[in-house]
Amino acid sequence: MLESLLEFLIQGLVLGGLYALFAVGLSLIFGVLDVINVAHGEFFAIGGYLAFAAVVLLHLPGAVGVLGAAVGTFLLGLCVYPLLIAPLKRRLGGRPQGPLYLVLTLGLSTFLQSSLLAVAGGDYLRVPPQVSGILDLDVTAVSYQRLLVLGVAAVLLTALFAFLRFHPEGLAVRAVALNPDAAQAMGINLPRIFALTVALGVALAGVGGALMAPLFNVYPAVGFPLTIKAFAITILGGMGNPAGALVASFLVSIAESLSVMVIPSQWQNLIAFAVMVVMLLVRPRGLFGRAVSR
Amino acid sequence: MMARAKLGVAGAAAAVLLPVLLPHPFVLTIATQAVIWALLAASWDLLSGYTGQISFGHAGFFALGAYAAAAATKHAGVSPWLGLLLGAAIAAGVGLLTGFPALRLRGHYLALVTLGLAEIIRLVATNWLDLTGGPFGIHDFRSFPGLPAGALAHRQAMYLLVVAIVVGSVAVMYQVCERTSAGKAFRAIREDEVLAETLGVDTTRYKLLAFALSSGFAGLAGGLYAYYVQLVSPVVASAATTSLVIGMAVFGGLGTLWGPVLGALLLYGLYEGLRFVGVVYNLIAVGFVIMVFVIFFPRGLAGFGRSA
Repeated sequence: MLESLLEFLIQGLVLGGLYALFAVGLSLIFGVLDVINVAHGEFFAIGGYLAFAAVVLLHLPGAVGVLGAAVGTFLLGLCVYPLLIAPLKRRLGGRPQGPLYLVLTLGLSTFLQSSLLAVAGGDYLRVPPQVSGILDLDVTAVSYQRLLVLGVAAVLLTALFAFLRFHPEGLAVRAVALNPDAAQAMGINLPRIFALTVALGVALAGVGGALMAPLFNVYPAVGFPLTIKAFAITILGGMGNPAGALVASFLVSIAESLSVMVIPSQWQNLIAFAVMVVMLLVRPRGLFGRAVSR
Repeated sequence: MMARAKLGVAGAAAAVLLPVLLPHPFVLTIATQAVIWALLAASWDLLSGYTGQISFGHAGFFALGAYAAAAATKHAGVSPWLGLLLGAAIAAGVGLLTGFPALRLRGHYLALVTLGLAEIIRLVATNWLDLTGGPFGIHDFRSFPGLPAGALAHRQAMYLLVVAIVVGSVAVMYQVCERTSAGKAFRAIREDEVLAETLGVDTTRYKLLAFALSSGFAGLAGGLYAYYVQLVSPVVASAATTSLVIGMAVFGGLGTLWGPVLGALLLYGLYEGLRFVGVVYNLIAVGFVIMVFVIFFPRGLAGFGRSA
């Protein structure tokens, strides 16, 4: 009993690294732009496909695949604000029209997912792991690939939070999140910060996709379930609070892996939904969020 | 207004005449399904177009209605007429239950929760083998009694039946949205929720009312789909269904009801037509239509009519 508890805890911890890569980016984008990116999972899938293209089609080393996924999704992400969000914002003028942004990113999600299907087909593509081998921990064994995901997540998220804390550009991102008008008055170039934030957020998902490709395989809808889980995580951590999302990622992943001891594994996806509903009922601001108006 | 009303009557008459003018099984199949989609798109519009609360779970409510109707008829021998009502009632009930935690708050929580809900409904449909038949779904259950037996005559009668139910349902929705104080409350919530509340509108109650009506009519559309197609499988609850229905509503014009109906009829035709080009292109087109219309033509096709 204790052994299996420990085993599931470790597996949950490792999965949490992936959730954090994914959900922190989503939460950052929401915090700065007030836009929920429904297409976040598609950037995860694109990261996986870029890794597949680099490693399997071009026979490049695994690390290049991950780097390619990061750069590729970053560049795609740079286009999202100027091409989609800014034109809608211009048309709406000053009016906050949250619902339309949701519909817009849903359209982007459908468009990207079915484009991937058209270009790459619906097959499950296999990508060789960037690192091979298994770490034997006595109670459980963890593949080095999974540890790599956790390690890269730790490094990237530390870098992200350091960037937001110390780098002038990162300070500008936080200033815009707090008060866009005041930030603009201080000479911050809003469109630039918005574009950069989306690109950073989706690039984190893209790296996650490249690293998870050897574990999940790659197919067009691979990122979609993650989007739903990330919604639960952002509600749990507090909407638009990246640090809260980081903590919440591990809470949800550990809860999911422990749930296997109680409910059959095919019902595991219920956990994220239950977390969402319970949090909205009990503490809608999330564990660390700003107060929510009722 | 008069011109538009005349146009509407003419359109409705043309729609009813279609099976007489083109009594071809393929045309009838496409037309009947398009009319069912029109009801689903209108139900989404009642919620999202009128109150501004976005549901990403309409695939789930549609599936819920379809499964409830099909399972009741297959396992308990329930009459299809009752099955339709049962499907609508269950969808509305589930809508109320899941809407409550999200709708008492301001913000976009409904979208997040309903996206999760649709996925849960798909999960249950896939895994609850005894009731839902798992991945293969429910088939071999009877449809409406008393329709003519001949293949073509049956399809024609079915088409007219579906048109009658859908026209009736959309008329009820139109009454609620345009002729009652509830409709005014819906629009007040969409324009400015805080202001609506200040003016004494019980926003939570009206949002819940809109959501229950919306999910109920989505369930009714699901029931019609089940009795028409005679097969309900978990694919119905997939996210593509939600994208398609939102695409139809955005294409036609949010917050008008007749716009989404028109959008559904046209986009479903396009959607099926693109199958001949390649199965994957139809959803690319739907995604593209959503993005372009939201950004550049937010009033949809309905808006073109208004400015002309």
